[in-house]
Amino acid sequence: MTTAVHLDGITKRFPGVVANDDVDLPVERGTVHALLGENGAGKTTLMNVLYGLYSADEGRVIVDDVERHFDTPRDAIDAGIGMIHQHFMLVDPMTVAENVTLGSEPRKWGGLAVDRDAATRSVEDLCDRYGFDVPPEARIEDVSVGVQQRVEILKALYRGADTLILDEPTAVLTPQEVEDLFEVFDELTDQGKTIIFITHKLGEAMHAADEITVLRDGQNVGTVPADETTREQLAELMVGREVLLEVEKTPADPGDEVFAADGVTVRDERGIEVVSDVSLSVREGEVLGIAGVDGNGQSELVEALTGLRDPTSGRLSLAGDDVSEHSRRRRIEAGMAYIPEDRHEQGLVMDFDLVENGLLGSQHSPPYARRGRLSWNDARRHAEAIIDEYDVRPPNADARAGSLSGGNQQKFIVGREFARDPRFVVAMHPTRGVDIGSTEFIHEQLLGLRDRGAGVLLVSSQLDEVRGLSDRLAVMHDGEFMAVVDPAEVTEEEIGLLMAGERPGGVDEDAEPEPSTAQADGGER
Amino acid sequence: MSDDGNDTTPDGSQGNGGIDGTDGTDWRGRGRSVLDRLVEASVFERVLISLAALVLSIAIGVVIILAAGRTATCESAATTYFGVGFCYDPFRVYDRLFLGALGNPINPLFDPLHGQFAAPFREGWTPFNPRLADTMTETTILVLTGLSVAVAFKAGIFNIGTQGQMVVGGLASTLAMLALAPLFSGVTATLVLLPIGLLVGALFGGLYGAIPGALKAYADANEVITTIMLNFVASLVALYLVREQFQDPDSFSTKTNDLPAGVEFPKLVYAPSDEFSVLAFVFVLLLTGATYYVLRYTSFGYDLRTSGLQPDAAEYGGVDAAKTIVASMTISGALAGVAGTVYVVLLYGYFQPGLPAYGFDGITVSILAGNNPLGVVPAAFLFGVLKSGAISIQTDPNVDIPIQLVGVLRGLIILFVAMPEFFRLIGKRANDLGGRSRDRTGGSGPVRSDGGVLGGEGDE
Repeated sequence: MTTAVHLDGITKRFPGVVANDDVDLPVERGTVHALLGENGAGKTTLMNVLYGLYSADEGRVIVDDVERHFDTPRDAIDAGIGMIHQHFMLVDPMTVAENVTLGSEPRKWGGLAVDRDAATRSVEDLCDRYGFDVPPEARIEDVSVGVQQRVEILKALYRGADTLILDEPTAVLTPQEVEDLFEVFDELTDQGKTIIFITHKLGEAMHAADEITVLRDGQNVGTVPADETTREQLAELMVGREVLLEVEKTPADPGDEVFAADGVTVRDERGIEVVSDVSLSVREGEVLGIAGVDGNGQSELVEALTGLRDPTSGRLSLAGDDVSEHSRRRRIEAGMAYIPEDRHEQGLVMDFDLVENGLLGSQHSPPYARRGRLSWNDARRHAEAIIDEYDVRPPNADARAGSLSGGNQQKFIVGREFARDPRFVVAMHPTRGVDIGSTEFIHEQLLGLRDRGAGVLLVSSQLDEVRGLSDRLAVMHDGEFMAVVDPAEVTEEEIGLLMAGERPGGVDEDAEPEPSTAQADGGER
Repeated sequence: MSDDGNDTTPDGSQGNGGIDGTDGTDWRGRGRSVLDRLVEASVFERVLISLAALVLSIAIGVVIILAAGRTATCESAATTYFGVGFCYDPFRVYDRLFLGALGNPINPLFDPLHGQFAAPFREGWTPFNPRLADTMTETTILVLTGLSVAVAFKAGIFNIGTQGQMVVGGLASTLAMLALAPLFSGVTATLVLLPIGLLVGALFGGLYGAIPGALKAYADANEVITTIMLNFVASLVALYLVREQFQDPDSFSTKTNDLPAGVEFPKLVYAPSDEFSVLAFVFVLLLTGATYYVLRYTSFGYDLRTSGLQPDAAEYGGVDAAKTIVASMTISGALAGVAGTVYVVLLYGYFQPGLPAYGFDGITVSILAGNNPLGVVPAAFLFGVLKSGAISIQTDPNVDIPIQLVGVLRGLIILFVAMPEFFRLIGKRANDLGGRSRDRTGGSGPVRSDGGVLGGEGDE
């Protein structure tokens, strides 16, 4: 075996931080190499060095045993390196073939015009060679996310890439699409291509990779063969301490209904119906999970329930009271806590310190406010209690919220929301972008709250999370609940199909034809 | 540095370089880190930066004065450096600009640099001189307009309508006091009529501020546009009303009748011929303190500041965005209305259309103060010094420089001192937008190379 790419002692500094610290990364030709690490571990920075987006402060980039200096991505592409970013860089109204060849189109008439036929033919050839099922004439906006990702891969291959870098390629995919992607990996490596993919998901790394390199705080803390390691070992490498991966959950002991939504329909800013007649009920002491691919109406549903968006129709009740018309503030005061999806925009005021942020949502309630006057002493005690109990670091109530790491920001939000002693909690992606250690802690806290009798509505696109924590699990697709299932009995395939908009077993209760994207996608295999 | 730090910095510094190569990456990165440094600066550092900017602006001003002095023609050189004569003496100009505004407090014999430690203050100098009175009159009004702009700014609203609200408040209070004048005289006029006038000014200024507030809150109308338009409406309607309805019959100029004799702020230690009143200034300081208190120590102030910093977070925290916008614009307008009343009472004793641009100066004062109510006072004082100093340059027979050049020097100082704060505001905005783009990528770092930073700049 030969080494396709060798990053030798790469150090990359940014003002105030060392993003990569003497990282050594040899990648064998024809293998899949996973780059695993928590957010901020320096994975993407390292790959940007390889792709010529950054130049390393120290160290060497060796491709095919020749030391290279990449000033721009163009140099990297010329050396046979292609990168597929997490967010695709495709032109929506253009066809697959046009996108693949964009910038290096085949020419005719002495270079005067684009040879569309030749472009289509080259894309077809590539598809045949690597077993892709991608229609060259389809427009990007008409194909599914999974197909778009394949177009990005084709773009890299068309430009002669031998080594493909994929940044968090599975983040936007359904479980089935993830499987398809990993099959593509196999096909590509069979033909001698080399793949490096960035992920923070242990399971994916173990499943799809031949070798796994773990980065922590910018350092390579270990490279291990995927078939000789365990999830526990990888988690420990990532976090630096032992981590409990499985949530230990006692069976739920549900009580009375604490929250109910009846026939909620929501339109977005453009007037398009994004939530269609959804009803749900959450009882005391239970977790109702909502799974689904992002963008299927979960955000709008949650905003309607929490009072941040007016639904077109529907009734909401909290502890028996009709709260459909209640303002956001009244809902908070009635005992509704909400861990929002977007902690940077909603959950915290980045320019406020933690004392001020601890007040958010309670700024009109005693003891923090009496007759319109704030008590900063009470607010400070409150913030310090949250910091203490939820292990927020650094433990400094005067720190600006924006200066905290994502995990600590999230812990502070969770602490603040739970400190209200809520009856009903809406938690949306409570651990997104949060390191494994904090994830474990937040999960424990959510279940603890459930066991104390609160109703929990958990929305997450991470299947492990919703399956592990929920007592009942609803799967949302295209603004509707496809089904409510028992998370202990349902298989990942079944959930995956529901997430893609197909009811398992060929039962299709929905008379309406489903929008093409999701279905084309599910049926693609 | 935080966990996220690793990825945050590249996210920001990478900028557009990601797509089309690395050209300009370092520049952008450096610009970002300068902005970040400004955003992180402590209050003490910000004061130091402002002082450094002041010194720098004077240094550049000296060069400009010398250059202008070379090109001008004069009978005898005002000063000579290295054997070259210059028509204007920069040091005398700045001496007049700053010390003239204070009434020449420095003893000519006091020269510590040359070992002369005579009494620092000139014999016969008191703080109660006409020049300082001028300075403080300007300061008094500019504190009010500065506060008006600052309150709106804190709520995230750019109130350019302070000028118009000031006109409305000034006119309404004048008319109210004139209407009630027959009922009061002497001391009761001061004790009753003046407070009524201030209240009416605040009320009408507030209502006039509430209009663009409501338009923004309920019809999504951009406040910059509406307030500018309402400025024209205010001054033209005021002109019409005074000329056609409330014209002083005994005057050739367009003005209302004079307010009754008792309607004035008692001058106390200042001469009756001076316009400044310590009492008025104390009143303004109390309002400054009250504004600070409301913003910092009340639930309403918390709502207002949260809306200003992050509207989405405010809504999440149960703030009624529309009500907060209207309320903050009302307060902003009320402060402008008080400014109009104080202007009328302090300076003229009647209302005359065509007020000086105190409302617009208030925008600069507010930016200079970093939109902090407490910072508005020194910022307004700097403005007052520059305005009154310009007059003392003109009236000094020994300094013969064109008034336009004095305007350039003033503008230079304001520009230099305001710019660091202005860039801080931009830096904050860019950070916020950068943060948003970061979150969209799931918090996992520099994925998209053309992310929020660019968008941020486009927005400014």
